[in-house]
Amino acid sequence: MDDSFSTRALTRLTFGPKPGEAEALRRTGLPRWLDEQLSPADGQDEACQRSLDACRLRIKYGAGDGWTAVEEMRPLASLTKPIDDLWPLSDGKKPFAGPERQFPRLEVTAATLIRAVHSRWQLREVLVDFWHNHFNVNAGEQAVAAALPSYDRDVIRRHALGNFREFLEAVGGSGAMLVYLNNRSSRAGSANENYARELFELHGLGRDAYLNALYNKWREVPGAQAGNPAGYIDQDVYEAARAFTGWAVEDGAGLGGEQRLPATGRFVYVESWHDNYQKRVLGREFDPFQAPMDDGKRVLSLVADHPATALHLCRKLCARLLSDDPPDSLVKAAAQVWTENRRKPDQIRRVVRAIALSREFADHQASKVKRPLELVASFARATAVDFTATNGLIGELDGSGQRLFGCPPPTGYPDRNEAWLGAAAIRRRWTLLLGLAENWWKTGPLDTGLPFPGPVTAQAATDGWQRALHGAAPDPAVTQAILIGMKLDPAATLTPGAKDGDAKLRRLAAYVAMAPRFQAR
Amino acid sequence: MTHPSFAVTRRRLLQGGLATGLSLIPGLPHVAYAAGGAAPAAVTGAETLVVVFLRGGADTLNLVAPVDDPDYRAARPPELRVAEDGPAAGVRLAQSLAPGVDFRLHPEAAPLAELYQGGTLAIIHAAGLSDGTRSHFVAQDLMERGVGGEAELSRVGTGWAARWLAENGVSGVGAMSAASNTPAALMGYGSALAVADLRSGLAPPGGAQAADVLAGLFRGADGPYASAARSALSGLSTIDGQLPRLPDGKVAPYAAEGGAVYEETEAGRGLQTVARLLKMDIGLRLAWVDVGGWDTHEHQPGRFSNAVRQLSRALAAFYADSHRDHGRVTMVVLSEFGRRLRGNKSQGTDHGHGGAMLALGGRVAGGRMLGQWPGLASHQLDRGVDLAVTTDYRAVLAELVGASVFPNWSARRLGVLA
Repeated sequence: MDDSFSTRALTRLTFGPKPGEAEALRRTGLPRWLDEQLSPADGQDEACQRSLDACRLRIKYGAGDGWTAVEEMRPLASLTKPIDDLWPLSDGKKPFAGPERQFPRLEVTAATLIRAVHSRWQLREVLVDFWHNHFNVNAGEQAVAAALPSYDRDVIRRHALGNFREFLEAVGGSGAMLVYLNNRSSRAGSANENYARELFELHGLGRDAYLNALYNKWREVPGAQAGNPAGYIDQDVYEAARAFTGWAVEDGAGLGGEQRLPATGRFVYVESWHDNYQKRVLGREFDPFQAPMDDGKRVLSLVADHPATALHLCRKLCARLLSDDPPDSLVKAAAQVWTENRRKPDQIRRVVRAIALSREFADHQASKVKRPLELVASFARATAVDFTATNGLIGELDGSGQRLFGCPPPTGYPDRNEAWLGAAAIRRRWTLLLGLAENWWKTGPLDTGLPFPGPVTAQAATDGWQRALHGAAPDPAVTQAILIGMKLDPAATLTPGAKDGDAKLRRLAAYVAMAPRFQAR
Repeated sequence: MTHPSFAVTRRRLLQGGLATGLSLIPGLPHVAYAAGGAAPAAVTGAETLVVVFLRGGADTLNLVAPVDDPDYRAARPPELRVAEDGPAAGVRLAQSLAPGVDFRLHPEAAPLAELYQGGTLAIIHAAGLSDGTRSHFVAQDLMERGVGGEAELSRVGTGWAARWLAENGVSGVGAMSAASNTPAALMGYGSALAVADLRSGLAPPGGAQAADVLAGLFRGADGPYASAARSALSGLSTIDGQLPRLPDGKVAPYAAEGGAVYEETEAGRGLQTVARLLKMDIGLRLAWVDVGGWDTHEHQPGRFSNAVRQLSRALAAFYADSHRDHGRVTMVVLSEFGRRLRGNKSQGTDHGHGGAMLALGGRVAGGRMLGQWPGLASHQLDRGVDLAVTTDYRAVLAELVGASVFPNWSARRLGVLA
């Protein structure tokens, strides 16, 4: 393994290398590095915890009906709160200003940025981002915003490296997903199909296994009569929707008569809302009147065990870690690991390890355009800025096309290059980099003394930033384009710490990051 | 007939030895080409097309509703259908699609009713995909690629809008999407501009110096980012240079014409951006506006009313604002599918099949409902549950962009344009 490989590996398995990390990985070796990264210990991430503790976000609103004006800087207090404490924010009848109701989304967004930059458990952060998109919810909806800290902490982070079947059940029973895909209001008689459909199409088997255009009846699907259908059709969606009736949220809904559910945001199974009669899902018969929640749990097991799910999930993981269209050989090999370990508590960990140690991963050259979150985090890491998340940065990121936890469709943000290359989106990328380099949003000043202990020539500074940001030897064409564009004499002296020197050195860093080599991973 | 008279197919032009430099012939870029084949159909389409895509599957049975159909009334509670009478009664549409059926527009679509009555809005009902998918993402893909079924997705790697633009030799800022990225319908076009908002200008951050640096960085560089960045730089500066400025250098607020008022909604912002670009005369031929919020599995009544109100007002504002261009601009509104006839118990509707499409413009043969109404009795429904599709969505688009854009497909003429 050489430095070039370790740089390439780190751009994909982390939010980008910090100074010295590529060299360290080369010495450690990828297998040992993966062992450590795949067994993260929360207590051993002090620097990240300090940044989380120190972060303050502004909240400001005028007086309204039932509340007084507020303007203050607040810590990320919601991150550790149980859902019960935040659920009142989802109640439209309670007197909360709009910014209060949306504040949990800001907090989780800030924490996501801080962890992406500072966490030593980088691979977990990359996978947390992957799973938040895979099991997307939109916190633009008030009740989802209230449920988001718990969803992020107790569902996504807890299971990001664990077992997929357990993960599915945690998601299906989460307040955030039950609200977002409406299963909380699904009732026997005319079930809401939203969750059941996306469980098959997005969370599990994938659209390649949706065979509705080919078959009208369940028994026509190849393998169905033997209990092993090649895919699913609408009849499976209808039946699965019936299976999940009664999976709900304690949201104060009426139960008939004078009775109401409490309003805590916690999961509840309401027997009287469940459709108890027999069902048939993916070619399997469900007897009537099963034990509470067993119908839904059985659907989750059928989805988790289906071969199409293994391929769908492994293709997505490979698309995240390698390229938009990863090699079939790797997807199949990963799917085999997935299937063999489907009863293991660390199934996902084993699959990620297999992908990262594959020949295809080692041979792969950077080809994916970084998404805005990756762009921000990798710049902050490579420049070793003392980074914190601020309202200003979050506002800019929201406009970049990647508003975190605010993606309306259940697909999550697309993971293909073309989705991130619109003209206005590219302009936003440049804004993010220049704003970070020049500290427009008070995210932390870029310390030019770190890479340049003393005065440097403009040429040496441009080359130095390329080594730091691109992890590679300077490209003379890039150096030239920047120096000519800035009308800088290559021999001009730039002094770190001096006002003019700092201004130019920071601009140089931003421009180097706008070059193609920094934009891909 | 007010449309251009270049009723000539590309194929015939090519056969006539005019293959080289086709797009350089003055006047020709405004031609839409008809399909080749047996009948030399002289179809001319839209000169500039504005597509409004309702993402999520719009419940068009609640937008253009057969209010007195007993099957419709039986299948839906009052809050999920348009009323015949009372304060929230729908607006009655004169139509000959289904004589004897009382079709009404949702009351929040009153601005659309005016356009319909004015003869510039046509409604094509029971339109959609012939493929049976009820998946948002499959259905959107099919409709944007311009194909009939999933098997074709692997063979057709470009979007229908991109193919239409290519047939017409359009490039550069000739296509735009009012969003942060471009839709699959423009896949293969390469340089479509995605800009949601013009209000703060489009110059790159960092001033003239940054613009110089960036131009140098991407000169000769390859890869998806570098080529996208190059076309972004040139497209953004073309438009930015045409934005009127205030003395302090800020972009002047947009002054809409025709009394148009754009609201701060996804549809309002997007269509305002399109109107502004149309007036710049940068050669815009295709504009795409996505409008979300139609996936109403739950709490449909309030959400749907809001969505219809916002959409109707935005369409009406755009139509008023673009009055000088009514002869060249045609709009089409579509969604990936309609929704289930029967409501669910969440006060919502699940994914369905057939839906309504709208066409709006000075050249649209409006004030009419087109297509074929299949009825809503159980035996008339698709798979026993959904409004059937009697008009393939491509039949509508083909009249605007030519049938040759849609591979292996042909249809009889609907008569969307006058």
